[in-house]
Amino acid sequence: MSDTARARTGGLRDGPAGRAGGHVGGLALIGLANLAAHVSGVSGANLAMAFLAAVLISAASFGLGPALTSAMAAALTYNFFFLTPRLTLRIEHPADLVTFAVLFLAAVATGGLAGRARDQARRAAEQAQTVSGLLEASLSLSAAATEAEAARVLVERLSRAGVGAALVLTPRGPHGALGLAAGPPGLDSVGEATLAAAGEAWTAADARSSLGGDWSFRRVDGAKGPICVIGLRGVDTARRDSGYAEALIAQGAAALERARLAQAEAENVALRRADELRSALLNSISHDFRTPLASVMGAATTLRDFDDSLAPAVKRDLLESIAEDAERLNRHVGELLDIGRLEGGALAPRRDWLDAREAANGAIARMSGDGGRRVRRDFARDLSKVKADRTLLEQALLNLLENAATHGGEGPIEVACHEDPQSVVISVEDEGPGAPPEALDALFDRYRRLDRPSDRGGGLGLGLFIARGFVEALGGRIAAQSPVRDGRGMRMIIRLPKTATTPRGLL
Amino acid sequence: MSRPRVLVIDDEPQIHRFLGPALEAAGFEALTATTAEAGLRDIAARAPDAVVLDLGLPDMDGRAALERARAFYAGPVIILSARDQEIEKIAALDAGADDYVQKPFGVGELLARLRVALRRGGAAAAPTGPIRAGDLELDLAMRLVRRAGATVRLSPKEFDLLAVLAEAGGKVVTHAQLLTAVWGPAHREDVQYLRVFIGQLRQKLEAEAARPRHIVTEPGVGYRFLAD
Repeated sequence: MSDTARARTGGLRDGPAGRAGGHVGGLALIGLANLAAHVSGVSGANLAMAFLAAVLISAASFGLGPALTSAMAAALTYNFFFLTPRLTLRIEHPADLVTFAVLFLAAVATGGLAGRARDQARRAAEQAQTVSGLLEASLSLSAAATEAEAARVLVERLSRAGVGAALVLTPRGPHGALGLAAGPPGLDSVGEATLAAAGEAWTAADARSSLGGDWSFRRVDGAKGPICVIGLRGVDTARRDSGYAEALIAQGAAALERARLAQAEAENVALRRADELRSALLNSISHDFRTPLASVMGAATTLRDFDDSLAPAVKRDLLESIAEDAERLNRHVGELLDIGRLEGGALAPRRDWLDAREAANGAIARMSGDGGRRVRRDFARDLSKVKADRTLLEQALLNLLENAATHGGEGPIEVACHEDPQSVVISVEDEGPGAPPEALDALFDRYRRLDRPSDRGGGLGLGLFIARGFVEALGGRIAAQSPVRDGRGMRMIIRLPKTATTPRGLL
Repeated sequence: MSRPRVLVIDDEPQIHRFLGPALEAAGFEALTATTAEAGLRDIAARAPDAVVLDLGLPDMDGRAALERARAFYAGPVIILSARDQEIEKIAALDAGADDYVQKPFGVGELLARLRVALRRGGAAAAPTGPIRAGDLELDLAMRLVRRAGATVRLSPKEFDLLAVLAEAGGKVVTHAQLLTAVWGPAHREDVQYLRVFIGQLRQKLEAEAARPRHIVTEPGVGYRFLAD
């Protein structure tokens, strides 16, 4: 049974109207007994039984008070209608006096016992409902993984319990200023005055309540200090003060505290993991730097030490290899700087109107070696401009292109620029071996290459991670598709949102 | 006169690109392999005079490659290693590699190591006469050490240690090799012995013990005896 239903039926039984109804019911039953006795013409002990039955029924149905009323009415009407002289309250025969007294006492005792039993049963049922309500609340509170969720469940449970509307405010941010964690539906923020009142309750030395607007605030403390401030705006003060609401609030606070601790622990774990990954990354990076460095140093010392005995073609080749590996090192340094920008959060994209085709051309021109010669362009003749940072977009595209050039086999690389109603779509496609579908998401992960560190093909293996970081900084999305056709090929797709939707007919 | 053949096993083409011409220019014949498997086949089939083995091969770890090579090849093997391959490098040296060069390296360094290893390979069978190193004169057969003509008194362990280093003829000798040779296999982990005894040797033999010229430390690996 839900809290709401419990509150409704409970209210009807306990209210003044409910109680009067019980008495009226009891009297009606006695009236019925009188009528039945009169019509059937029974008398003596049988008659008394009929009255006792009516009292018993009213006790079982309406509780102690109405039962006593019925008992009284039964004794009086019995006397009035059935004891001579009839239609008076006088009692003629002493024997009838005994009958009347016995009936009266029996009716009161029966009604009293049955009524009390019924009241106890009802209270027990109510307690059982309270306990099951709390248990239910406790289950959904303990299922709450985050502070916000715990706060939301608490607010919902409180309002369902008939306490009225509730607010939960928790400390936010580095300075611990209070902010709204959850409130009644439709309430997304609270005003300055309300916040100030909540703050007063938060900083108060004791757990007294403070008023703000129509909210009454109080702080809830946990084992490790204050947890939150709860604001109630209520209808039923009796209910608000009931143990049920208190128990709910205590449970909610415990859930909030638990979620807060769990969150802190999760952050710790994430930090530790990040540290481990960082050192793994450093190892992988040091390898990636060492190889071209060894080549530069070896070629340079060969030229220095054996200048006289090397053929001109060999000298040229060594100089060439020095230049190539210096370029490789330069690329690695660039990637490291990009990673630093992504990590440090120092990425502040400039948003200028730009043509994605120009960014693509810029990236193709910057490809290392003669990679640009492998690229085929498939550009839409008309293309909406997007608001984006030219440097970031070009670098993201360059990373996709270099990835295709390194891992995409020897075939051509196709760069396409098109648009759909919502976004401008740039794709880079190669004819290489591609990747299995289950590996596609991981392509953009930062530490993807760590499990196979002897891949000496490309750069630091961070290019795709950087591309994703940059595209997302621009508000766009990046995805990989493979295979593209005949079980081969990889297609990387960048979607940049347009500021306004283009109707289909105009595309 | 035929040129000594050197087989370079490295999976990085850029290394072959300069090492090939450098070896040729220095008077060697350069053979190349890019995997451990191919390298082992070439060692067996072409009997090189020396092998240069990269530790970061994709198909086999350096120690395993070296152990398999040592089953049928007794010639000198020089390891190319990186800084994060310390453990593998020491394992390879203990497994019988003659020396190592750390990447990045100048070709001069590699060629010098190669020449030392080749010289030793040729002379190993017949240790002859006293060894001279600066003002030092070592007569291993007579267990005699002179410095500037005057006899230096060494304890038996000090002499044994010096003899193992000197006999290596400029090659690096690992901690484990020194400890096993002088103190026995039970002490192959006791590197602190070496610190003490090498310190004493330097006090007695080096002009400046703090800046040794003959008994040189190879950090984390071992020691090397240099004649000049």
